[in-house]
Amino acid sequence: MPGKTPDKEPVENGGYRGGKDIEMKDKDEASSLKHKGKKGDDEKMTVVVPPSKKQSSQPPPNDVDGDVAMDEADQADDGELKVDPVVQTINDIKGNFALLDRAVALFDARFSLRALRSISSIRKRLTPDILAQVIAETYQSGSSRAHIASQLLAAVGKGDVQLRGQSAEMEVDGEPKAPAKNGASKKESKEVLPEADIFLAILVQVYLYDSKKFREGAEFSRFLCDHIHSLNRRTLDSLSAKVYFYYSLFFEQLSPLPHTSQSPLVSIRPTLLAALRTAVLRKDIDIQSSVIVILLRNYLATSHISQADLLVSHTQFPENAANNQVARFLYYLGRIRAIQLRYTEAHEHLTGATRKAPSSACALGFSQTATKLLLVVELLMGDIPERAVFRQPTMEQALLPYFQLVGAVRVGDLDAFENIIAEHGDVFRRDDTYSLILRLRQNVIKTGIRMMSLSYSRISLRDICIRLHLGSEESAEYIVAKAIRDGVIEATLDREHGFMRSKEIGDVYATREPGEAFHERIQACLALHDESVKAMRFPMNQHRLELKNAQEAREREREMVKEIQEGDLDDDDLGGDFEGM
Amino acid sequence: MASQLEPILNQLRNSSLPYPTAQSLLSKSKIYLLQNHALTPTSQTPSSLLPLALEILELGALQSIRAAPTHGDVAIPAFIRYVQQVTPFYDAGVVSNGTENRSKITGLYLLLLLTQGRYAEFHSELEAIGTGQAEKDKFLGYPIRLERWLMEGSYDQVWKAIRHGEVPSEEFGVFSEILTSQIRNEIATSSEKAYPSLPISSTKSLLFLESEGDVINFAHSRGWIVKDGQIYFPELGEGEEPEQDVSLVVIENTLGYARQLETIV
Repeated sequence: MPGKTPDKEPVENGGYRGGKDIEMKDKDEASSLKHKGKKGDDEKMTVVVPPSKKQSSQPPPNDVDGDVAMDEADQADDGELKVDPVVQTINDIKGNFALLDRAVALFDARFSLRALRSISSIRKRLTPDILAQVIAETYQSGSSRAHIASQLLAAVGKGDVQLRGQSAEMEVDGEPKAPAKNGASKKESKEVLPEADIFLAILVQVYLYDSKKFREGAEFSRFLCDHIHSLNRRTLDSLSAKVYFYYSLFFEQLSPLPHTSQSPLVSIRPTLLAALRTAVLRKDIDIQSSVIVILLRNYLATSHISQADLLVSHTQFPENAANNQVARFLYYLGRIRAIQLRYTEAHEHLTGATRKAPSSACALGFSQTATKLLLVVELLMGDIPERAVFRQPTMEQALLPYFQLVGAVRVGDLDAFENIIAEHGDVFRRDDTYSLILRLRQNVIKTGIRMMSLSYSRISLRDICIRLHLGSEESAEYIVAKAIRDGVIEATLDREHGFMRSKEIGDVYATREPGEAFHERIQACLALHDESVKAMRFPMNQHRLELKNAQEAREREREMVKEIQEGDLDDDDLGGDFEGM
Repeated sequence: MASQLEPILNQLRNSSLPYPTAQSLLSKSKIYLLQNHALTPTSQTPSSLLPLALEILELGALQSIRAAPTHGDVAIPAFIRYVQQVTPFYDAGVVSNGTENRSKITGLYLLLLLTQGRYAEFHSELEAIGTGQAEKDKFLGYPIRLERWLMEGSYDQVWKAIRHGEVPSEEFGVFSEILTSQIRNEIATSSEKAYPSLPISSTKSLLFLESEGDVINFAHSRGWIVKDGQIYFPELGEGEEPEQDVSLVVIENTLGYARQLETIV
């Protein structure tokens, strides 16, 4: 029974992730909009906590309804000692204020990040009442921040809730109902930190987004962004980045939806660009990276490829940005390069994106989308993706159309290729890979020619034309000539007799190719090593400690040498001592 | 306000207007638009002026394309400039009187990018249009089909499209000449690699040339050897040079590994 109440953090996370996971699979099967699915994943990427083992012992609290039900159950057997989920949630939220306090005091962004991570667990339990209560208890009515509090309350639709100061006497009378309230009110007699403001505001954003109040959310976010822009605190950075993220998310949901240039997305570009400019000036990595990513997404949503390209060439993506932002950035960059036919670069970026994507199930959608694009780019480069990619259990379903596509391209079967496009056209269009896949036609033809050149030493153009379902023999001749020039096949054409003669194929192992491939792999391994070294966190001043140890050891040694010289020590003792060191 | 623009517009709509006249009319109207903050759509622009402004720019684009054969060096950059000026209007959702103009101008722009070999921009532009409806469009479908044929190498299809009046409107014909010489060069480059030799008589049809004399001229311009009614291609001087630094590369790589290992171990 005690396991029924939501425990602190990790358990919640486990439950939360489980719920989301299923939802995502649904999205893949049911033909919902791809954009919707991907947005969900984008948020989910922030949660990277290993699942707890306790998860199985209790039903995961799935949503607000579940909470309410549990609430009633709690009231039914009031006698037992148990914490009310509402109070629990409030305490959780307030617990984060302490983290934010420490973040400000110690100037360490790790604490704010931890606070942000807890959002996903609080998220499921948020109700307007809880939010209103927290806000009301946090702010004093007379304080300078009262206007922010009232904005927050208005956004949740609880504008009539009174702030703490006004009902102070009542509180003394009635003695707090929850024990935590007492401690909280003592602590918060001092001024509330701006970090806490923003944290609450993010919670409000999350709540509005989850309850699909996009218009209100957009309004509120607009106010919030103006507010953030006026603040200049480094400890706010990671929080503000989150605010901008939701800001753009709300506008994506407003009608008219993306893919038209009149989308409201266009209207938030100046704000985002201003935020980016400020962030660059302040060397604010969090906001820089997330705003660049948001802007790229924004441009791509309205198909403004050249603008997105310009943005990339005029900004420098911060090197030590958060891993998730790097993954997203690489994905968008890969997309742009693929559209511009710069496949080699696109391939590099997309490989990076899929590798950097969190391996846990919470970002499954992102890896799926990135993998799809990567597959198409690989095909466009003339490579055939490995079969193992399609066998991963999490990917199998989503990649099925692509699997068939790869099959058609590999064999060089133009008919099958056209059929797949006709059959899965909608899927490809939803994945935004349709126009790229159309470009594959020439690759299919080239593969077909290559297959034929490998199988026959001499084949007439008429046969090529029939096999590949080409329009005419002349077409076949030009196409084959082009293939020879592009180095797809080693062959010559005979115009008078109308056939293609294949040349003998040399031994690959006599060329430099194996060596180059080997070199590439070694490079990749070395780069991986370097990056993992860079990614490790070293405790501060640890090297000094080691230096001190070394110095002590040296002193001991010196003493020992002295003692030996004086003849006080036996050889045995000496050996023992050295081993101890 | 619009009354000043109407007579100019009427004159510009006439497609046989000589280019210098059109140019002066266009600059006059552009100055007028600039004074009324209507050269780019902003919040201050009077909304009644927007469709007129758009139409003027569209007509400007079409006029410069028509002038391209005679005033190529001026007209083509002017056309690109007009396209760039027109784009913000389309993005703002302004619709002009000539409904066909939008896809016509975009189609022409695509074709221009194609003839200049700017494939990256071609595809960026295409992505913005959305391939779905574009292929069915009379004006947009033409450059899209041409690009596909060019890419896969069906040059005869391109040739047919250019010759047999598949051109959607007279303005598109401007690029036919450039396209023809472009594919001819492509074919010639492919042929150098693909054929050991070619009889002159069949090269004529291969390169879409009019007579055998043209073939010989063309062969000389590319430095081919004509002998006994056959064309031979000079061996391309691909020396052994890249092979020589193989060992250098290997040494460099190995040294690199050694250095890396040093840092790791």
